[in-house]
Amino acid sequence: MNHRPTARAGSVEIIKVERLSKQYGSGANSLRALSDISLSVSEGQFVTVVGPSGCGKSTLLLILAGLVSPSSGDVWIDGAAVTGPLPEKISVMFQEAWLLPWKTAVENVEFPLMLRGAPFAIRRPRALSLLQLVGLEGFANRYPGELSGGMKQRVAIARSLVQEPRVLLMDEPFAALDEQTRTRMGNELLQVWEKFGRTVVFVTHGLTEAIYLADFVFVMSARPGRILERFHVELPRPRTIEMIGNEAFGRLRNRIWHLIGGA
Amino acid sequence: MWIVRTSQLLVVAIVAGLWEAASQRGWVDPNLLPPLSKIGSVLFALLHDDRLLSDLALTITEVSAAFTIVGPLGLLVGFFLGEQPPVYRALGPVLHVLLATPKSIFLPVFILAFGIGFLEKVIFAVTLSFFIVLLSGIAAAQSVPAGLVTVARSFGATRLKLYLFIYLPAMQPLIVEGLRMALIFSITGVLLAEMYGSAHGVGRLIFAWGEMFRMPELFAGVLLIVMITVAVNELLRVAENVGRSRRRGF
Repeated sequence: MNHRPTARAGSVEIIKVERLSKQYGSGANSLRALSDISLSVSEGQFVTVVGPSGCGKSTLLLILAGLVSPSSGDVWIDGAAVTGPLPEKISVMFQEAWLLPWKTAVENVEFPLMLRGAPFAIRRPRALSLLQLVGLEGFANRYPGELSGGMKQRVAIARSLVQEPRVLLMDEPFAALDEQTRTRMGNELLQVWEKFGRTVVFVTHGLTEAIYLADFVFVMSARPGRILERFHVELPRPRTIEMIGNEAFGRLRNRIWHLIGGA
Repeated sequence: MWIVRTSQLLVVAIVAGLWEAASQRGWVDPNLLPPLSKIGSVLFALLHDDRLLSDLALTITEVSAAFTIVGPLGLLVGFFLGEQPPVYRALGPVLHVLLATPKSIFLPVFILAFGIGFLEKVIFAVTLSFFIVLLSGIAAAQSVPAGLVTVARSFGATRLKLYLFIYLPAMQPLIVEGLRMALIFSITGVLLAEMYGSAHGVGRLIFAWGEMFRMPELFAGVLLIVMITVAVNELLRVAENVGRSRRRGF
């Protein structure tokens, strides 16, 4: 934990969201997805966003990623106003790995670098070392169709780190995996995060996962999504499975549960 | 695999054998269905006949012209329709009506408009094939998973790079399938137009042999067309399979 380049208590603001709203359509058929969202995330933090399904948390993430434009409000990441994808600053991961099926694991990891025209001699070693980081060094030449769901998401993690982004945005990346794999992937993600010290915004509907991973948990209301509250998770790092059973964890979990249920 | 191949060859051999026997022994009228051996020797002789070779060359040229036009045209128009859901929703029903309409009934109109000749053959074949290739193009565009596009966009892919690195490889199997359709229906279109009215071409030859009740020549011509079509079709299938084996699921 000590070798992380940025302190968790670091106060450098890397994500800033101001009065963000998103409305789909107009007139009587319009749908308000997000309403007046403001939040701030400090560099190196791991934050999670939870809320009932359909609360717009995925939309929020897509807006942060510059893939969807907001109806009003502003997003800054690392000092830059987000108006479109910022590949050198932001990486996004989804529930599905979305690997290119016609490329091998290592080619998939290199893909973002290839898009930017990086030469093979630079991108291949970097992709291989990232595959090693996620424990897939022996699967570099396999195609996605030959990998399990968990392995595919590991390749996707390696791919999202290959450009050394400042911020990693993750939209329920482990939701499609079985519970055991999900827990293991969560731990592996934390290890990777400890090593790289990037900022992570992780959207999930699992309260346990949200608390277990996070420094801060943002709780959202049902549609139109608003930020109800931000909880600081004061459990020590590295996190262990046993912490899920302890009292502080349970209390926090109950508070969030009632907040979402009562919203 | 070799068992499948062998049994396929066996079936062909049995059919050929039965054909030969049925004709030789008079189970069927040999004037209507000449023995295969006779058709074979006629075909061999025809392949050394300058008249047939020049007709064949013409037909192949017409097919090539039609294919070269309708393959890219149908796929491109189809791609842009598939990419624009509102346009597709508006035009879809019209396209399906046009697809279902038998184009052959318009052959007299084509002859009146373009005369009897090369241009008429090519334009008719293009018209016949266009809507089928178009549907392949639409299916190809719609087969690209939105998630792949989103991910590539998040990595900063420009529109050109999206087309190059996501759309094209993702659509490859359906593009090859579309080209296969373009070729098959170009052949059909040209032969149909030749048989309906033409001075030259294999289609006209076959039609004339039928009129004159020259069954060995007729069957030899049919056999020739079948062999060429199957060969070309297999070639494209190989290309298709090369694409498919690289595509192993997400």
